[in-house]
Amino acid sequence: MGKVVGIDLGTTNSLVAYVRDGAPEVIRDGAGDALVPSVVSLGEDGTIFVGREAQRRLLTASSRSVYSVKRFMGRGLDDVRDEAAMLPFRVGGEPGGVVRIGLGDREFTPPEISAFILRELKQRAEDHFRERGEFDFEVDRAVVTVPAYFNDAQRTATRDAGRLAGLEVLRIVNEPTAASLAYGLDRKDRGIIAVYDLGGGTFDISILKVEDGVFQVLATNGDTHLGGDDVDRLLMDLVLAQFGREIPAETIQAIRKAVIQAKWDLSDLEEAEIRVDPSPGIPDGFRRRISRIEFEELIHSLVERTMQPVRQALADAGLEPSEIDEAVLVGGSTRIPLVRRMVGELFGRTPHSEINPDEVVALGAAVQADILVSGRREMLLLDVTPLSLGIETMGGVVSKIILRNSTIPASGREMFTTGVDNQTSVDIHVLQGERELAGDCRSLARFRLRGIPPMLAGLPRIEVKFQIDANGILSVSASELRTSIAQTIEVKPSYGLTDEEVERMLIESFEHAQADFDARLIIEAKNEAETVITATEKSLRRPDFAEIVARDLQPGERERMESALADLKQVLGGTDRDAIQEKTHALNHATRHLAEIVMNRSVREALAGRNVEEI
Amino acid sequence: MTPEPIPVSAVSTLECRNCGAGAPMDEHFCPQCSRILSIGRHGDYFAFFGLPRKLTIAQADLERRFRDLSRRFHPDYYYNASPTERLASLERSSYLNDAYRALRNSMSRIEHLLAIEGMPATRSDGATKVPPALLEEVFALNEELDEIRELREAGTDPAQLRARLDTARKPIELKREEHERQVESLAAEWDAHFDKNDPAGKHAALEALRERLLERNYITNLLATIDREAGILGPDAKGPEPEARG
Repeated sequence: MGKVVGIDLGTTNSLVAYVRDGAPEVIRDGAGDALVPSVVSLGEDGTIFVGREAQRRLLTASSRSVYSVKRFMGRGLDDVRDEAAMLPFRVGGEPGGVVRIGLGDREFTPPEISAFILRELKQRAEDHFRERGEFDFEVDRAVVTVPAYFNDAQRTATRDAGRLAGLEVLRIVNEPTAASLAYGLDRKDRGIIAVYDLGGGTFDISILKVEDGVFQVLATNGDTHLGGDDVDRLLMDLVLAQFGREIPAETIQAIRKAVIQAKWDLSDLEEAEIRVDPSPGIPDGFRRRISRIEFEELIHSLVERTMQPVRQALADAGLEPSEIDEAVLVGGSTRIPLVRRMVGELFGRTPHSEINPDEVVALGAAVQADILVSGRREMLLLDVTPLSLGIETMGGVVSKIILRNSTIPASGREMFTTGVDNQTSVDIHVLQGERELAGDCRSLARFRLRGIPPMLAGLPRIEVKFQIDANGILSVSASELRTSIAQTIEVKPSYGLTDEEVERMLIESFEHAQADFDARLIIEAKNEAETVITATEKSLRRPDFAEIVARDLQPGERERMESALADLKQVLGGTDRDAIQEKTHALNHATRHLAEIVMNRSVREALAGRNVEEI
Repeated sequence: MTPEPIPVSAVSTLECRNCGAGAPMDEHFCPQCSRILSIGRHGDYFAFFGLPRKLTIAQADLERRFRDLSRRFHPDYYYNASPTERLASLERSSYLNDAYRALRNSMSRIEHLLAIEGMPATRSDGATKVPPALLEEVFALNEELDEIRELREAGTDPAQLRARLDTARKPIELKREEHERQVESLAAEWDAHFDKNDPAGKHAALEALRERLLERNYITNLLATIDREAGILGPDAKGPEPEARG
């Protein structure tokens, strides 16, 4: 059995955590960074870049790079057409079908893009366990978090992504609930908690009751299309309004980067500057000061949009804001002072944010993963389904079978019969949402019940059972009660992948796996090469370099270094990993003597002027 | 939403799918091998919680039982178990959640009691028949609503119509409050007859409860009709926030 981790698959950043000696901790890279930007980029030669490297490529190869893919999970082209206009990558697909993202000459579904991110996190965790000297370092199972307000299609898409990444998804957990678990670790007392989770692309509010270690969600609400991305877009509009003409995609990404920096600055400062360096798109560059007051006016209505779901969740839980014992902030966007202020005012108390809002969800996911595999029973999460589940009846009206905020697992039954004599199949349309008409709800799937024994119309009694599991994912079964014949059900997910499609993608991903692995090794080799180049160039630029050459170096040694440097730079742009490694070693070797000399000089300089007693 | 009539099981025992031993209907775990039992067509939520069929329930006690059973059934704790046990855990947890939802709320608790006593509060005979006790109110309301609709189409100031709608709502609200009091005292009556094990008294209480519940459904529909009309008049019609659902 391999290792089990908890993963926060975020709109902007993703991260992985695990429980070590009873306490959850996030896994960081060599530089201490826990966040993997949720960005994927397709190299010109077909290699896949994920994370920081892909984020850098957003500025140089925009049309081959995709970010915020979470917004597209489980969605159709019709849902996303408006926002797709602003994005550098191609968004396509069949009308009424799954979104397809075009990068270069390839097309990917959102679960495939998410799978690249998950694979990166899996790799990161495995590297970590290997470095810790663990014999069994393979990561094969994970708890993955989703926004509480994700519908069935979005949850299923997330589970598919896990499968494509070679992970068994033990459980899909709602982000605010996971966060409450991380907070609950050292708070064994009881009370009502409100978790306000404003991330990069989604907003959730969950109201929980905690007692005896049971974390029971009373109500949840949210908006799966509201988050930091929208703040960025408002700021970008502010900048783009200055330029009447078409701007290249790369420049738009540079502007996006600049406004995000300004947004971050405004969390600590009263004033910030949006600063875009000159580029072919805007030769003079761009600078604009923005005060926190102006920023808050700009985003006020966005933050206000989160308040309606909060009020609805409170109403559904039958609570007044004053009955909330503790409010908890989750998600990077809760760093915005206006958000903290408005949440504080609503609940009449200062909200908690002791645990890093970027990390708290992954920590909670790790705790849940540990509960699942260890069988520890001190804590239990009881979550709810965020949306009502129903079926279309006569006239396109929805008949609700499982109401929103029902504790999951939950089940519901509905009886069906036939309309004409000897009818052997019945079509059923399953929907999710609160509206009365099928057209206003989310279509989840169409089912066809087959194998009904031929009888007079109205005689068959077909019981269809809807089961929502602890992941919030629906399954359907049916049987004819008079004959006890189980019915077969064909599922056609409205905005999801069929099992066959996932299977095919899985095979394809194995074919690409070697290429992806190679790409990773190349990136590592390039990073190492760049470190050596930077160190060498620094030494060559020393003010005392001419003196070193004259006094300490062998004849021709300087030339050997310079040519080794040029050789390495020449192969650095390519994808020949062996060549890069070889030239890196050569440069290292050629500069070793110089490095020693520089070191000795530094030591002498440091000691100069001190007397013997001090040493 | 009125639930489907709940089929009460004809059989009174469960069979353990692990060891094959028989177990009483209200057991959750096999008395022989102590594995979680698959759920039969059970039906009685009171018995499931180990409670008598009484309508007065201490909320804190019910909650405690719910948490306790959740801790024993939840799929989280059956991750490593056999497929049969995992399925049993999923079904038993779902059932527990459904049962808790039904018993937590006093009205759905009565609906459940009626269903398992074989007197479901659904109108199989002519679903639109107005309960006699409500005839007067329904007549007045329909007349008022017709007039408001006409005025609205004629372009009368919505604020004025909203005020009339609020006035029309008052007597229905009063009726609902009166109803709640009646239901409460009938529930207490049922509990008393239950304790004395008085079949005739129990039956009378159930009949009366059933009648009240049918009326209550009708009142709820009337209020929904008023809300719909208010919705057409404009977003400010019934205050800034939608009412919580039960």
